[in-house]
Amino acid sequence: MLKVNQLSIEINGKRIVDGSSFFVPRGRITSIIGESGSGKSMTISALLNILPAGSKAAGQAFFDNKDLLAISNKEMSAIRGSQIFTVFQDALNSFNPSVKMGKQLYEFSGRRIRHSVAEFHLKMDDILNDLGLSKAIMEQYPFELSGGMLQRCMIACALYVRPRLLIADEPTSALDTLLQKEFIELLKGLNEKQGTTILLITHDLDIVAEVADKMVIMHKGKVVEVGNVAEVFERPKNAYTKRLLESRF
Amino acid sequence: MTVKWIGKRMMMGVVVLLVVSFLSFFIMHAAPGDPATAFYGGNAQTLNAAEKERISRVFSLDRPITAQYGSWLVETLKGNLGISYKEGRPVITILRERLPNTLLLFGVTMFFIIVGSVWLGTIAGMKAGSILDKGLSILSIATSSIPAFWLGILFISFFAVKLGVLPSSGTGEIGGEGGFWDKLRYLILPATVIIFTHVGIFARFLQENIKDESRKYYVTVARANGVTEREIRKGILHNASFPYLNYIGMTIPSFFGGSIIVESLFSWNGLGQLTIKSVVTKDFPLLMGSILLIGMLVVISLFIIDFLMYSLNPKLRKGGVQ
Amino acid sequence: MKSRKMLAFWCIVLGIIVFSTVFSGNLAPYEPNDMNLDEVYLSPGDGHLLGTDHLGRDVFSRLLGGGKVTLTVATVSVLLSLVLGVLYGGFSGYVGGIVDTALMRLLEVFITIPSLIIILSFQAFMQGGMWSMALIIGVTGWLSTARIVRSEFIRLKEAEFVQMAKMFGTPIWKIIISHLLKNSVPAIFVVTLFNFANAIFIEVSLSFLGIGVPPAIPSWGNMLYYAQNDILIGAWWIGLYPGILIFITILAINFIGEALKDPERRRFSA
Ligand SMILES: Nc1ncnc2c1ncn2[C@@H]1O[C@H](COP(=O)(O)OP(=O)(O)OP(=O)(O)O)[C@@H](O)[C@H]1O
Ligand SMILES: [Mg+2]
Repeated sequence: MLKVNQLSIEINGKRIVDGSSFFVPRGRITSIIGESGSGKSMTISALLNILPAGSKAAGQAFFDNKDLLAISNKEMSAIRGSQIFTVFQDALNSFNPSVKMGKQLYEFSGRRIRHSVAEFHLKMDDILNDLGLSKAIMEQYPFELSGGMLQRCMIACALYVRPRLLIADEPTSALDTLLQKEFIELLKGLNEKQGTTILLITHDLDIVAEVADKMVIMHKGKVVEVGNVAEVFERPKNAYTKRLLESRF
Repeated sequence: MTVKWIGKRMMMGVVVLLVVSFLSFFIMHAAPGDPATAFYGGNAQTLNAAEKERISRVFSLDRPITAQYGSWLVETLKGNLGISYKEGRPVITILRERLPNTLLLFGVTMFFIIVGSVWLGTIAGMKAGSILDKGLSILSIATSSIPAFWLGILFISFFAVKLGVLPSSGTGEIGGEGGFWDKLRYLILPATVIIFTHVGIFARFLQENIKDESRKYYVTVARANGVTEREIRKGILHNASFPYLNYIGMTIPSFFGGSIIVESLFSWNGLGQLTIKSVVTKDFPLLMGSILLIGMLVVISLFIIDFLMYSLNPKLRKGGVQ
Repeated sequence: MKSRKMLAFWCIVLGIIVFSTVFSGNLAPYEPNDMNLDEVYLSPGDGHLLGTDHLGRDVFSRLLGGGKVTLTVATVSVLLSLVLGVLYGGFSGYVGGIVDTALMRLLEVFITIPSLIIILSFQAFMQGGMWSMALIIGVTGWLSTARIVRSEFIRLKEAEFVQMAKMFGTPIWKIIISHLLKNSVPAIFVVTLFNFANAIFIEVSLSFLGIGVPPAIPSWGNMLYYAQNDILIGAWWIGLYPGILIFITILAINFIGEALKDPERRRFSA
């Protein structure tokens, strides 16, 4: 579904990601793992064409045979608005502070798949409920909610729109273990029932072991290893991967 | 919450007015002759002994200065602002005649400055890197560096003297022969001068805020997930409006100051021109009255702006959680 | 790089204006107040580069001499407001706590009152010479400086090197001067520049209204005062040139201020 080839990113002349290549197969869950600052989030930004000002991306990234790094802005917004949904890392800052959550959630989900506001409320209330949120948050502002609540709100939107490709950048970082478990179940369900392809970025090897089919290991801006989760866990080739796996126990 | 907030703002306004009243009271005391004479202006000589006696009782002239201030304040609050030296009429009457003209000029210029700057600033801010974006930054500094009254002189020399299409000075009477259109003709030059020297810098401020806001994380998140550009812009504009409103509030005092001078240049029959006239002719009761009224206008304008900010910004309303 | 060049350009412009007004005594072809009733309202041309006014005085010479007065008034007033602002803002910022809150509230009250009103009331009583003018502009112009100094002090007070100095028992006055004040200089300089432009604006406006610098002393504002009538009879040059000079001076100051403004620190965030 998504094939990244020799992707390099520079910000203000500094190389952040260097010639990384990996493949996200259709209908599977792929996980990117790597230490903080290794360029995971920047890779996502490059794919979605939302890099900060002053940065350059080179290489190719084929999504349905279209090179995301070469297509026009118009095509890109069409893909972002219908094919891919992204849950971003910094949930606290992912919402406009002066607009009520209900309206924002609708803009993120219901509006995107042309549901009416009434339909949206009907469906969203259930999803929020599954995630342990009351529908009262619809009337609240983002600064009245906690980081974990906001993260779940974003996840709720992802579950609502059922995109073809779901990108989730450390979606569980602000959740407690119980909620993490539930979220993982929801993610699995989405993947199995809807066939949603998922690209999951995480620090948590347990989560990788539990849900992912394939994994990509990044280190200092480079992809050091790719493979099936079971195989990599069994026989890591790269030295950094080995250290990473050892740290798990 | 809201009640508490309004109360706090009101207190602030009252304190400002108190300080302005000190200033006014100080003028009365510093004016030549005894304060009552100052207060009753040129008519003081014609007062007979009994009346003088009454005045000094009302103003507690034999009591300490704080008591005098109190008595004066009571009189002022009753609407007794004394009598103009030069015109021999009650100050309050004169102020009442002038106020509508100042409000007209203020309202019209503010309206166009806000509309114009929101329009320019939004286009420039949303299109970072465009010609308008870069041009506005420079143009706004240039236009705000022009002394408004000098621009007025140039306008008079061109439109009034050379072309003769617009009157060089005066106010025109709405009820007069020319009616509304006549008034408008008088309004064009002073209003244009004020608008021209202000609209750029206001626009620039909004532009900068919009650019800052556009770089925020939530904008990227929304854009990456296909939220419509229209909604995104609405959100940006909404948030950029807070510092913009704050900026308007901060410039209101100097804005009034600037229009005092423009009013005077164009002999616009408003409070500003009245203030200058009273300074030149040393008409102290009139000066005191104008100062008080202008102070009140500033306080009221600021209150309105604060209220707008309060109702637009949920963080303020919710008392700044987090 | 481009903004560097711009900065240099405007500095040179301002430098030329300051230089030629300071040395107006040597540079001006005529005495600014020399009247010649045979040569009234001469348009710009031979003998009188920028023409003459209603008393036959040379506009160019008055422009230079007037600039000296205007810039002197602005400089003196700005220095005064600098001192007042640093004292008030520095005290408030350094002491902090309730005192700071109270002083800032008071400052807010002052800011709300149009300074022109205070200046006008003052002028109604003591319309004296140019010094009293400089005094009153200075006394009403320190508010923005105080704000900046206070926020700088608060920011620096928490800085590590200041905390260190305190720990080593450096005397307070030394900390204030060599740490807090010294590091606030860039911010203070910028706000002072803008104050300077503002002071010119006020002098010019008041003199233009006939209630500023006495008419006997030439200043840019005074020249415009007479220009009001001259323009009605078509003598446009008397009003045009002082205005252009005021405009360019303020423009230069504003551009320099903008260029020096710390890009990290937003404009009115003090
Ligand atoms: N706006 C920016 N400007 C310049 N450099 C940046 C910017 N954002 C990130 N970087 C740099 O890019 C590199 C990669 O950052 P990135 O956010 O992709 O890391 P990450 O792998 O997502 O880490 P984490 O697990 O902490 O989220 C970092 O070294 C960081 O310093
Ligand atoms: Mg990241």
